[in-house]
Amino acid sequence: MSTSGSAAEPVIEIRNLTKVYRDFWGRRKVRAVNSLSLDVKKGEVFGLLGPNGSGKTTTIKMLLGLLFPTEGEISILGRPATDVAKNERIGYLPEESYLYRFLTAEETLDFYGRLFDMPASVRKERTEKLLSLVKITHARKRQLKEYSKGMTRRIGLAQALINDPDLVLLDEPTSGLDPLGNRDMKDLILQLKEQGKTVLMCSHLLADVQDVCDRIAILYGGELKVLGRVDELLKSRDETQILTSKLSDDAINEVRAVLQKHGASLNQIDHPTSNLEDLFLKTVQESVERPGHRVIMDDTTRSRGA
Amino acid sequence: MDFEPTPYNIPLGFLYWLIVTGFGTIVVLVVTLLALLITRGTKGFGDFLNLLSSAALDIVQISPRRVGAITRLTFLEAIRRRALLVFVVFAILFMFAGWFLSGGTLVPDFQVKLYVSFVLRAIAWLVLPVALLLSCWGIPEDIKQRSLHTVVTKPVRRLEVVLGRMLGFGLINTLVLLVMAVAGYVWLQQQIDEKARPELTCRRPVFGQLTFLDREGKPAATGINVGDIWEYRSYIEGATRARAIWKFAGIDESALNKDGELILENRFSAFRSHKGQMGRSLLYQLVFVNPETGLRVGTQLRQVAEFRGRTDAIPRTLPKAGEAIGGKITEEAGETVDLINDLVSPSGELVVEAVCIDPGQYMGMARPDLFIRTPDGSFLAGYAKSILGLAMMVLLIVFLGVAASTFLKGPVATLLTFCLVLVGMTAREFMMTIVSGRFEGGGPIESVYRIVLHMNPTQELPTGIAFQSMHLMDLAIRQFVWLIFQIIPNFDYFNMAPYLANGFDVSFNASVLPSIAVTLAFFLPCLLLGYFCLRVRELEAK
Ligand SMILES: Nc1ncnc2c1ncn2[C@@H]1O[C@H](COP(=O)(O)OP(=O)(O)OP(=O)(O)O)[C@@H](O)[C@H]1O
Ligand SMILES: [Mg+2]
Repeated sequence: MSTSGSAAEPVIEIRNLTKVYRDFWGRRKVRAVNSLSLDVKKGEVFGLLGPNGSGKTTTIKMLLGLLFPTEGEISILGRPATDVAKNERIGYLPEESYLYRFLTAEETLDFYGRLFDMPASVRKERTEKLLSLVKITHARKRQLKEYSKGMTRRIGLAQALINDPDLVLLDEPTSGLDPLGNRDMKDLILQLKEQGKTVLMCSHLLADVQDVCDRIAILYGGELKVLGRVDELLKSRDETQILTSKLSDDAINEVRAVLQKHGASLNQIDHPTSNLEDLFLKTVQESVERPGHRVIMDDTTRSRGA
Repeated sequence: MDFEPTPYNIPLGFLYWLIVTGFGTIVVLVVTLLALLITRGTKGFGDFLNLLSSAALDIVQISPRRVGAITRLTFLEAIRRRALLVFVVFAILFMFAGWFLSGGTLVPDFQVKLYVSFVLRAIAWLVLPVALLLSCWGIPEDIKQRSLHTVVTKPVRRLEVVLGRMLGFGLINTLVLLVMAVAGYVWLQQQIDEKARPELTCRRPVFGQLTFLDREGKPAATGINVGDIWEYRSYIEGATRARAIWKFAGIDESALNKDGELILENRFSAFRSHKGQMGRSLLYQLVFVNPETGLRVGTQLRQVAEFRGRTDAIPRTLPKAGEAIGGKITEEAGETVDLINDLVSPSGELVVEAVCIDPGQYMGMARPDLFIRTPDGSFLAGYAKSILGLAMMVLLIVFLGVAASTFLKGPVATLLTFCLVLVGMTAREFMMTIVSGRFEGGGPIESVYRIVLHMNPTQELPTGIAFQSMHLMDLAIRQFVWLIFQIIPNFDYFNMAPYLANGFDVSFNASVLPSIAVTLAFFLPCLLLGYFCLRVRELEAK
């Protein structure tokens, strides 16, 4: 994977972002995002992770100006979040595909194309291309209300790419997709990255995130818990796993003795599963046990914060 | 006649139009500012300025293609969601209506009146709920389904969303209206009896100014009151010098029909102080007077057609007859006058005097009871104008509904808009009485003063600076309330059925133009309100 250096310009800058949902009477209900700061740089694939209700969707909606931050600043593509002109270069796939169910696939893409003020010929061309990209050409004349969940997701993705955006925001892009679709989605994201586009995605499929994302952030209860490059985060654990061929009990005792000599203890002997899933679970667990704890392995944000 | 035709002052109307539009816009701005100040504190003011400047930018950058996309979407939505089932209701209503309206036994003009007003009213009341529901539910549903999320994350301006919705709903409702209008027209043509057909017409009246001479021949503003104080006609006594005098302006050859006749239509009423002559009604004579030369020419005697009215065709070339004296007309043998050349003044004025012939009897009239009937317009044209009026009403409802639906949920927006419509249709006159200060007891402050002092409303107030300033404040309050009431549109203008049902052409100046003006006056404020609301609110369904 080609990595973008920290010198790359930030496409998204979030500073001390806080969102408090209020009810009808203005009473505070939920603090969905709590002083979140992070940058997404040009050309990278950024993964926003976190358990359900941790504020991922809320963050994305604030980036798009659908929700207004209670506090904090957002700059997206160098503009404030409420500026409509920024949308020219943005593609957004909502959490669930919020589309007009009475339109056919073709009409849907045509409609969104019109919103980009595209002339008819361009709209037609883009529609054809995207319909085959998301593989729903066969159902192009059917109304979306007849679509299955995965098909709706696919047309949702097509709609997000109608303007060939520079920045793509994908909220759980793989939910509802079959394994093939999942594979396609991963390929697509890598393809976008190759084209130099920036991708910000939320997902619960950590294996996929591990495969495609350059950097991740893990949110818990609206707070940033982990931020950094995927490879570094997975490397720099304060534990070492030793993988050997099968050992006899005696051998294990000997190893234990050696470890004791070096002042370390043998905690667990396990198969090597040092992956994002571990990190994620550990982060969640730690967030419960040590609320203040954070792992920030991000040079830019750190130096900025200092 | 059911209505008093009043001349419509176009410059004054335009001024009011400006006031209403401007005031509506200001109200919207103030409300937005207040809302922002309340929700965001002192930051609200900066937000407001931002909003204004970006509004200006958005208006300049409106893209027809984006607006068109939303309009098209709205249209497709209404059609595909089968919102137009109302057509079925309409068709059924019309199929059965014929049974209940037993028009066959009615006199022709009453049959026409009944059927025409039924059709126009049915169309209005059927298109009203369609317009209300469609326009008030569109945006809230869009927000609830979050489909609007996907839309506003495209470069479409929220102004364009509101505008596109308004146009889309306007279009679909106009279409609904047109289909209903065609159905209604066909139904009318089929249901109305052969003998009533000629009543399906659009008379184009020229009304004059009415003055009187009393029985001694002295000028008077009114005639005699024959005892019924609510009667709006006044009476002239027969065989005296009493006259009812109409002065018409703007008369030339175009007022004549194709046979060269001047058609005068009247609805004089008769009041008898004795049984009179059996077998005939009261006699009257119309006397033409040239206001310049003073030439007076009497026409032949005619009988009053009570309760029905009659039309008199006056040939262009008249025998030069005098006025009836003792029920006899003296004629200057052989001599004739030309109605247009000899009796109409060069400035187009014509005076017609009505004289009651029978002694001891009285003939009653009001201003609209005698008019010159210039060549009729086609019924279809008048019908089309009435439909245009309804289209303006529907558009206005759409504007109001869409604006309301940007900050209220569907049912509440519907209710609010419906209340505005109801008040605009019915209670407006009552409210205008309040603000016009025609109430006894004075304005709000004066009334409070009187209440506190237990003062009778008829009692004169003392004079003095304090009371003068009180009156001044009352006046200011009244003016302010007048402005507030302008927010409630006047739905009277849209109802052109009375014209058509009574066989009159729909007056362009007095009805078509104001109806367009009312709708246009509300367009900008509604658009701005909707836009501001969509801008300052989060698009989450609460
Ligand atoms: N419209 C809303 N009104 C009130 N609270 C909300 C609203 N939307 C979200 N929340 C709350 O905000 C918090 C964060 O929600 P959010 O949708 O951002 O989570 P998420 O990280 O996207 O979760 P998931 O993984 O389930 O999609 C939750 O506690 C949720 O209950
Ligand atoms: Mg979410």
